[in-house]
Amino acid sequence: MVSLFRLMRLAVGGLAFLLLVSMLPAPANAQQVNPTASAVKEQQLLQELNRIQGRISIPDQRAGVLEQPAGRDWREFRNVTLRWIGGIAIVGMIAAIVIFYLTRGMVRIESGRSGRTIVRFNAYERFVHWMTATCFVILALSGLNITFGRSLLLPLIGFEAFSHWSQLAKFAHIYLSFPFTLGVVLIFLMWIAGNIPNKVDVEWVKRGGGLFNNDHPPAYRFNAGQKMIYWIVVIGGGLVAATGYLLMFPFYLSGIEGMQLAQIVHSIVAVLFVAAMLGHIYIGSIGMEGAFEAMGTGTVDVNWSKQHHALWFQQQNAPTDSAEPKSAAQPAE
Amino acid sequence: MLIKRTHQRSDRRGSVAESLAGQAGGLDRRSFLRRSGLAGGALAALSTLPVGSVRKAQAAAAGPLAAGAIVKKSICTHCAVGCTVTAEVLNGVWVGQEPSWDSPINRGSHCAKGASVRELVHSDRRLRYPMKLVNGQWTRVSWDTAVNEIGDKLMQVREKSGSDSVYWLGSAKMTNEGSYLFRKFGAFWGTNNTDHQARICHSTTVTGVANTWGYGAMTNSINDMRNSKTMLFIGSNAAEAHPVSMQHLLESKELNKANFIVFDPRLTRTAAHATEYVRIRPGTDIPVLYGMMWHILKNGWEDKDFIAQRVYGFDDLRKEVEKWNPQETERVTGVPAAQLERVAKMFATVKPATIIWCMGQTQHTVGTANVRASCIALLMTGNVGRSGGGANILRGHDNVQGATDVGLDIVTLPFYYGLAEGAWKHWSRVWEVDYDYLVSRFDDKKQMETPGIPLTRWFDAALLPKADVAQKDNVKAVFVQGHASNSITRIPESLKGLNALELLVIADPHPTTWAALSVEAGRKDGVYILPVATQFECTGSRVASNRSMQWGEQIVKPIFESKDDLEIIYLMAKKFGFADKMFKNIKVENNLPVAEDVLREINRGSWSTGYCGQSPERIKAHMKNQGKFDLVTMRAPKDDPEVGGDYYGLPWPCWGSPEVKHPGSPLLYNTNLPVMDGGGAFRPRFGIEREEKLADGTTRKVSLLADKSFPKGSEIEDGYPEFTLASLKKLGWDGDLTEAEMATIKRVNAANPDAVSWSLDLSGGIQRVALKHGCVPFGNGKARMNAFGLPDPIPVHREPIYTPRVDLVEKYPTLPDAKQFRLPNIGFSVQKAAVEKGIAKQFPLILSSGRLVEYEGGGEETRTNPWLAELQQDMFIEISPADAADRGIKDGGWVWVSGAENNSRARMKALVTERVGKGVAWMPFHFGGWFGGADLRKNYPAGTDPIVLGESANTITSYGYDPATGMQEPKVTLCQIVAA
Amino acid sequence: MARMKFLCDADRCIECNACVTACKNEHEVPWGINRRRVVTINDGKPGERSISMACMHCTDAPCAAVCPVNCFYTTADAVVLHSKDLCIGCGYCFYACPFGAPQYPKVGNFGSRGKMDKCTFCAGGPEADGSKEEYEKYGANRLAEGKLPLCAEMCSTKSLLAGDGEIIAQIYKERVTRRGYGSGAWGWKTAYRESIES
Repeated sequence: MVSLFRLMRLAVGGLAFLLLVSMLPAPANAQQVNPTASAVKEQQLLQELNRIQGRISIPDQRAGVLEQPAGRDWREFRNVTLRWIGGIAIVGMIAAIVIFYLTRGMVRIESGRSGRTIVRFNAYERFVHWMTATCFVILALSGLNITFGRSLLLPLIGFEAFSHWSQLAKFAHIYLSFPFTLGVVLIFLMWIAGNIPNKVDVEWVKRGGGLFNNDHPPAYRFNAGQKMIYWIVVIGGGLVAATGYLLMFPFYLSGIEGMQLAQIVHSIVAVLFVAAMLGHIYIGSIGMEGAFEAMGTGTVDVNWSKQHHALWFQQQNAPTDSAEPKSAAQPAE
Repeated sequence: MLIKRTHQRSDRRGSVAESLAGQAGGLDRRSFLRRSGLAGGALAALSTLPVGSVRKAQAAAAGPLAAGAIVKKSICTHCAVGCTVTAEVLNGVWVGQEPSWDSPINRGSHCAKGASVRELVHSDRRLRYPMKLVNGQWTRVSWDTAVNEIGDKLMQVREKSGSDSVYWLGSAKMTNEGSYLFRKFGAFWGTNNTDHQARICHSTTVTGVANTWGYGAMTNSINDMRNSKTMLFIGSNAAEAHPVSMQHLLESKELNKANFIVFDPRLTRTAAHATEYVRIRPGTDIPVLYGMMWHILKNGWEDKDFIAQRVYGFDDLRKEVEKWNPQETERVTGVPAAQLERVAKMFATVKPATIIWCMGQTQHTVGTANVRASCIALLMTGNVGRSGGGANILRGHDNVQGATDVGLDIVTLPFYYGLAEGAWKHWSRVWEVDYDYLVSRFDDKKQMETPGIPLTRWFDAALLPKADVAQKDNVKAVFVQGHASNSITRIPESLKGLNALELLVIADPHPTTWAALSVEAGRKDGVYILPVATQFECTGSRVASNRSMQWGEQIVKPIFESKDDLEIIYLMAKKFGFADKMFKNIKVENNLPVAEDVLREINRGSWSTGYCGQSPERIKAHMKNQGKFDLVTMRAPKDDPEVGGDYYGLPWPCWGSPEVKHPGSPLLYNTNLPVMDGGGAFRPRFGIEREEKLADGTTRKVSLLADKSFPKGSEIEDGYPEFTLASLKKLGWDGDLTEAEMATIKRVNAANPDAVSWSLDLSGGIQRVALKHGCVPFGNGKARMNAFGLPDPIPVHREPIYTPRVDLVEKYPTLPDAKQFRLPNIGFSVQKAAVEKGIAKQFPLILSSGRLVEYEGGGEETRTNPWLAELQQDMFIEISPADAADRGIKDGGWVWVSGAENNSRARMKALVTERVGKGVAWMPFHFGGWFGGADLRKNYPAGTDPIVLGESANTITSYGYDPATGMQEPKVTLCQIVAA
Repeated sequence: MARMKFLCDADRCIECNACVTACKNEHEVPWGINRRRVVTINDGKPGERSISMACMHCTDAPCAAVCPVNCFYTTADAVVLHSKDLCIGCGYCFYACPFGAPQYPKVGNFGSRGKMDKCTFCAGGPEADGSKEEYEKYGANRLAEGKLPLCAEMCSTKSLLAGDGEIIAQIYKERVTRRGYGSGAWGWKTAYRESIES
């Protein structure tokens, strides 16, 4: 994070430089000058601002930045810091999952399947989820390729194959960002109602969500863990989208220092996002019996609902007060 | 790690150094320095370098030469420094440009323009074929049709309105041969209305400097400034206008620890490298120079011996200088007294000192007086005629010095012979044509001997009432070959002029603003465009600023349907029926006059200026042996078989016939060398004595000949008048003339051979004999501080026509209205009216104009070159932060600039910068193709529009003409700027 | 072994842009791609200095370090080159470059930066020296012809020096000693982690 700090300092420095330049008073007697003796010195400028900028006649004004040694800090971030953060987050998450799986195993439906199902996500919701999820997986892989591919994949497949793949991955990363962003927006809108944190969540968290024992705290449609995923998707997705577009349209909104910062935010959020999603994928698949169906067929077993989302289950039944909850004809697999 | 891929030529892969190792040739340290242009001269001390990195290279292992390209040398066309361009040509295509290491002038270097000239030839936006305007549409025609229709129309105009009604506007971009033939063509057509760019760049220099000491040219050379200890720039931004000269100037600054003083209203790119920058108000060159001289005289820093021996009129000058005490100088110029005293001391005492000037001094109503003041400052300190000193006048086009010398001008025949009967008779002898025939070509003999109309005022000559134009009729047709129209001030007026013409012919590689503006003016027909080859497609000689002549080879053949300048002149002469007479002694191949033959004819007639020794053979030998000339002295070793002892380019005057082998004169008026080694003296051109009126009413005669000063080795150890047969006889030297020479002299003037002078003697005998005795053929006179005959014999400060300092106008008014060059000059009335109308309140900012390094002149050619155009894409105006803040103008924002005349206005971007002082705005003058905010791109023939268009500075510039030359005033006018 | 470097003597540079157009001329560089540029610091003020800048061919080049596809390589002359066949146009080298050297042609509507282009020290690219393919992708290979970069060779005031780092440093030192001033070897500290003491 040192580099991040330095980058921020840079941005401030740049601003200060502009102010300085615009406010510099004209010499008391502009005519009494020896321009050779008063020549600017490189080291002095670099010490003052760590960046040298001037005037250039071509319209590409970014070319007016003569030197930005901050690139060195960015390089340090990209080649060292980010790899550590990403490595720890992703490998750590995988390790945690493996350990968890080995010790806890799959979280079962304690009372077994009832054979009756209840609709949890309608077709539209599932479409949005899977669209976003598919994009995410490809974005994640193509993104990780940019950070880790050179050391992990390139030696295996060679320069040309790797470049070819990376080129495709880059295009995929760019083009899939649009449906991904759309998905994030839709997710935000369609599930916001169920994802406002409340008191139940406090209890849920206190009891560890029932992950470590079979003490399953009650929850409405989304428990605190799911709410966390929701907010990670909405906030993390929003951040990667915003910073991603900043990078995709170079220099439209910011100079080089802004883009360096954007890349830093983009990549840190992205690796943490990937780590979080690994957990999400685990719990939504082999981590918990009966969970995948929710996004698979859209229906869940009644007993699963009672176990994990007791309050939601009550809500679902309350209005009709019927012994027969809304159920699909087919039991879940 | 990735490495260079293996290919069939496995010996050439991998690291360059590896691949080059062990091969013949070598990029060792010596060749490295050579390739960097750093060998010799300043960095001779590099012998202390560690021997590192010795690398072997097989030259031309790759690249065009390996593929069989041939090398051609020509001269860059973008300024008068004279950089050699080395071209690699493969199968008739110019494929590469290489540094010209051997040239002592540029030593491999170029500026942005020079490094991109290859594109000029290639450009797909060049004119491809002749066109004419038909019902407002540009329509292709054949060359035959164009020449016939143009010729017929011109004959029609001539019959109706006389030969002076056609204006022939030539170009400083033509070779000597082209511009000479253009002037000769004017003589055969029968008019003195033949002009070129020198009018608007250095006409005031030519007149002012020639009137001071003999010749209107740079006295020293750029290379010679390597000897200077003080360099004073006033009105020169060499860094942008003559970038390669800065190589020599900055090295001089570094090696000699020379003072580098820049006087300028702007802190220019040149000023950025100054050791002292003096900001002056535009148009106050004379006061600031007098202010310096005041300190010099007060402290006795003047060179008394030099003045006594070689200067006339010092006492008259002293009276004028005494008026410019520090208080008055500061009041008028804004320069603090202490700074001016410091600068004056440096200039007068740290010698040799030189003054470098350019259009900042010349482009004024007081241009002639400005340059005279600079000359006077040099004379006062004894800085003329010596190495490291002199008037280093940097000129602007590749051949503007040559075109001026060969007389493409309104006031003289070639080589400054003037227009008097004697001059016409001289040239009729050279041309071997009857004098009476030439007379018959003119409207009358009086017009033949009257200076023509300056190009700055062609539209006045077309628009003013007929009675005000002192010739048979107004100008009715303009034939312009290689001159921009947006370089001429008062564009709104010129639009009316374009409409008034019966015919406009534009001969140029590009359509230029003449085409765009004539459509804008509303013309639907009567305009022809003829495609002309660039100079890189032509053969011939050019004269650089330092008077060195260089030969340019044809790099590639004219592309598309373009034709060489010489061919167009020939075709027109043929059409008018005088080609046989005009090209009597010039071989013509396929309608193309042979350049060498033209130069030989120039040699035979140019005795007055010393082009007589510059045969094509000698000049070509110099190009071939460029590497042999010394960087500082520009002289080749005496023992060289081809160019031994010559100065590079045989800088004129190169006396006598080529056989005399005069080496050229690198420094004018230099008495430290024998004449045969390039020495000389001031030219007694204005009589040998003058009757002066004294205060008590009596008169005395004062000699204008030098007093005990003479070139080294002279047999006459005092001043002497020009040589004639009579003076040779008096000296007893006539016996040295050969019989053949004597016979020629008698043929020149059968009635009175004794009157035949050094400049009229076609045999060269009189010059040869004078040289033999160590004498200068033109005599040995004094330079004139008092140039009697000029409007202001002693320079006098006169406020610009449009000045913000209305309080000074009464004390320093411009000269009274008068008739000059066939037209009225009403500057005084305009100035008076401006003061009365309070123009300075309405338009409070001084507007000046100048050069950008990327563009040249009117700029159509350079703005068509993408490599250059990319670097300057918008017309702009520089404005100080204070003035911008007052007006709410942001850097990079659009503004409207309005001018003091014609309700002129122009839209451009603002560049807010401290480069200009408060109250001063500055524009580059290269833009064109917009007018009054409107984009005129559609007016160009399809596909020939320059990439970058913009408002012309001259849309805003205003009235003002130098009385001695007709020079315009683009450097000082008034304007207002508002945010758009 | 030679270690190629650039050095711009700002006390000589007059912003004439010869280096820029020489580069365009030699390599037929298209509009919008500026392998070399001249930046003016303190424009219009006393002390104004211009510096010509291109790829400095850094020691331990940041572009090469951050390239996701590792398309850069350093020649035995220490010239930093890249393969346009491998480049994916991601723009990372531009973030890392202290000198703004990498250039990208705009080939699509958005995002799709073309293959990166930059100064080659007139040393071409991975293809065979002087081959047509090399010229089309990277421009001329002057080093293979035993010549130095054209920008420096054509510099109007001999401000821009190119060649063996030791020699040009020596030349610069000598200049500074002789004339008594020097605003520094711009970019050297950043590019080569060394400065020329003057």
